[in-house]
Amino acid sequence: MSAALEVRELAAGYGGDPVLTGVSFAVPAGSSVCVLGPNGGGKTTLFRALAGQLAPAAGDFDITGRPAYVAQAAHARLDFPVSALDVAVMGSLAGRWWLPARGRDRDAARAALERVGLAGSEPTAFGSLSGGQRQRVLIARALVQDATVLLLDEPLAGVDPASAETITALFADLAAEGRTLLVSSHDVEGARAFDAVLCLNREQVAYGDPAAVLDARVLETTYGRELILIPESGGAGGVRAVAVQHHEH
Amino acid sequence: MALDALPDPIYLLELRSTRTAALELLLLAVAGGTLGAFVVLRRLAFYTHAVGTATFPGVVVAEAASFSPRVAALGVALAYAGGVERAGRRGRDPGAEATGLMLVLALAVGTILASDVFSSGAGVDRVLFGSAVALSDADVAVAAAAAVLALVAALVFGRAWAAVAFDPGGAAGLGVPGRWADLALLAIVGACAVAALPAVGALLVTSLFVVPAAIARLVTRSVAGLVAASVGVAAALGLLGLYGSVWLDVPPGPAIAVLGAAVYAVVAGALALGPARTPREAPA
Repeated sequence: MSAALEVRELAAGYGGDPVLTGVSFAVPAGSSVCVLGPNGGGKTTLFRALAGQLAPAAGDFDITGRPAYVAQAAHARLDFPVSALDVAVMGSLAGRWWLPARGRDRDAARAALERVGLAGSEPTAFGSLSGGQRQRVLIARALVQDATVLLLDEPLAGVDPASAETITALFADLAAEGRTLLVSSHDVEGARAFDAVLCLNREQVAYGDPAAVLDARVLETTYGRELILIPESGGAGGVRAVAVQHHEH
Repeated sequence: MALDALPDPIYLLELRSTRTAALELLLLAVAGGTLGAFVVLRRLAFYTHAVGTATFPGVVVAEAASFSPRVAALGVALAYAGGVERAGRRGRDPGAEATGLMLVLALAVGTILASDVFSSGAGVDRVLFGSAVALSDADVAVAAAAAVLALVAALVFGRAWAAVAFDPGGAAGLGVPGRWADLALLAIVGACAVAALPAVGALLVTSLFVVPAAIARLVTRSVAGLVAASVGVAAALGLLGLYGSVWLDVPPGPAIAVLGAAVYAVVAGALALGPARTPREAPA
């Protein structure tokens, strides 16, 4: 299967020393990859580099099709006078931000909202939606961009379990359509459901099949002291891992 | 202060000076209302106040040097816009300490210079608070240019400004050049604020560029609605403020500002005391 995304010895940062180095991996089209790492480990930097917002400090990458970076929903303003449809229509800004939205852009936005399970929510104020619904609206905005590679920055952060389940099912549907998903997360156990996992801690720690990659050594190298390993019941020697998240206030 | 009888609005429109002032304020309402919507959304109210005030020493120096005050003010405003954009790009907050310091500096330098330049306080008042009777055809032409500039800019940059204000990271992901969009907004607001100086003065640019949009923001739920309502409120405040300024024999800037603040207080109070607005719920 051809690679939708191939990254070679990528390093990226914000002008000084790179904050992320030595990243190399390839993702087949229609695959989903969970990107794990501590806060400051380079997940967002990787996504911004792949989205073209940051020039690589070293290395390069190839993307087949169009990437879309979906920032954390928590960064969007809830007091802003926009509806769910308005936000989805923003996807049509890509490549033509200086032109007004067309009727077909609104049609595409409506279709994208329906695709993420929010048909009927078009006129709802964005700030009135639940956290999970807001995240789905932002995914709809990426779908309006007709993106084939979705870079989703912690889409499940702060989302209630029911919405998380809906969004996770949506990931599977999008991958089945042939879209490639990179999803950053702190949910180590949830990462096991993805096709592959990429572990970052300012450099690439590991990449591959979650069942093969997610062992105690990799997780400790990735998270250091931000990880709690819990022996699984049954005494088979397995461990469950919980990443401790630190939030800026 | 003894109040005169209310003047007849029709009589006022028969006077060339008040007709000119009304036309000037309507044109500035288009510029200020349109840009003000994005100023409020982008949280640039303090910048807008500062860029008007920053022109004060420039205008005074230009008066002393027999140079065009308008060109001097434009130069200062654009330089200030560039400085704010640069500070923001470096991650510093241009809306707080630096702006406050600049405001104090501009007022202090302007006042010191003005005491040597103007022979009477009336000249300083005109620069700071505007004048309804001293407006010229050239002022109206500049206001018309500002209105056209604001409308064209809103058509070209409006979606990008809204996207960046809503979600800067997401807008960057959409390929919106946030830095250039911000620089364009700062520079265009600065240029259009200069057009408003003759009518409302350096200190009260916000009476047309922030207050109407802030009022409209209380009652609108879409960006397009905000822009339209902001222009309408700015036009109403401008005309009523002009009427009040003639009645009370005060400059139009303070009359518009006081009226705008009163309307804001009434609308905000009514919304706070009225039944809670129920957000439209989304299906689960």
